[in-house]
Amino acid sequence: MVETITILLMIVFALLAIHSSMLSLAVIHLTVLSLLGAFLYLLFAAPELAIAEAAIGSGLVALLYLASLKRNKVYTIAVLAEGHNYRMTDAYLGYMGRMRAIREIRKFFQRREFEPQIVFSEKSLEEALKYPAFDLVITEEKTGISAHGSSESYVLEELEMMFQFHGTESRVNIVRHDLGEEQP
Amino acid sequence: MIEHDIPEQSLVLEVVIGFLYPFMLLLGFFIILNGHHTPGGGFQGGSVLAALFIARYVVYPVHDVNSEKMHMFQRIFIALILLTPMVFLFTGFIHRFPEYRSLYLLVMNVLIGFQVGMEIGVAILRFAFFQGVGKTWRL
Repeated sequence: MVETITILLMIVFALLAIHSSMLSLAVIHLTVLSLLGAFLYLLFAAPELAIAEAAIGSGLVALLYLASLKRNKVYTIAVLAEGHNYRMTDAYLGYMGRMRAIREIRKFFQRREFEPQIVFSEKSLEEALKYPAFDLVITEEKTGISAHGSSESYVLEELEMMFQFHGTESRVNIVRHDLGEEQP
Repeated sequence: MIEHDIPEQSLVLEVVIGFLYPFMLLLGFFIILNGHHTPGGGFQGGSVLAALFIARYVVYPVHDVNSEKMHMFQRIFIALILLTPMVFLFTGFIHRFPEYRSLYLLVMNVLIGFQVGMEIGVAILRFAFFQGVGKTWRL
């Protein structure tokens, strides 16, 4: 009985790991899967294998996956607070639309196997563009948002094409900055 | 290494791994040292010890461990693993004194644990700090 439940749960977590949208979530599902596998070894009277499975399957492999995910592919999107200088009523006017646009940008990067990470910053636009940790800078305006990025980034073109094809309720400007010329 | 060279880390990971680190060390040695009469042994405990390396890398990704030297130590442990059965078994020592059997198993478990821990640790460190295409290490 317990064995059957464990095996069925393993199948469920394997399917969850395949179908999860974020890679780090898939790693966590894989960890739970191999922990259940270790429990199954314990039920079938193989405690030595259970220890090895728990240490390697859910300890080493999960940390290795997380480390290799962390090494690259983290895409930092900075949302600047600079645009909030206008009146408060205007700030709430387009709020929902802007939030939806930011969520769409985030979903776009998730689909391309990046790990999008949205941070809010109080830097000015020039400072934020020069700051190396920010890959994409978003400023909020009255009617929409504008995304600033390096002109060498190929992701930005695809982002622009996605907004051209699908269209959004709020306006999204893509602004390219040539950072190489600004810093001789 | 200067403080500001290290990239910023997640505080949650830092605190949780910092809390678990001594317990992982203790668990690894417990599994190795009790391997001869409870489940566990050299390989299992060694892989728990190897998890320490990657836990350390996740929190503090600085390449300050000499992996060449660790690889050399690991080779010495392989030699000792081959040598210990020769000394204990082939000379008939265990058959003459059966009360030393658990000591022999303990020594073998400790040797295998250190060897596996270092081997997997070296593999992980080389994976983590691998940069570029042309760079290779001999194994």
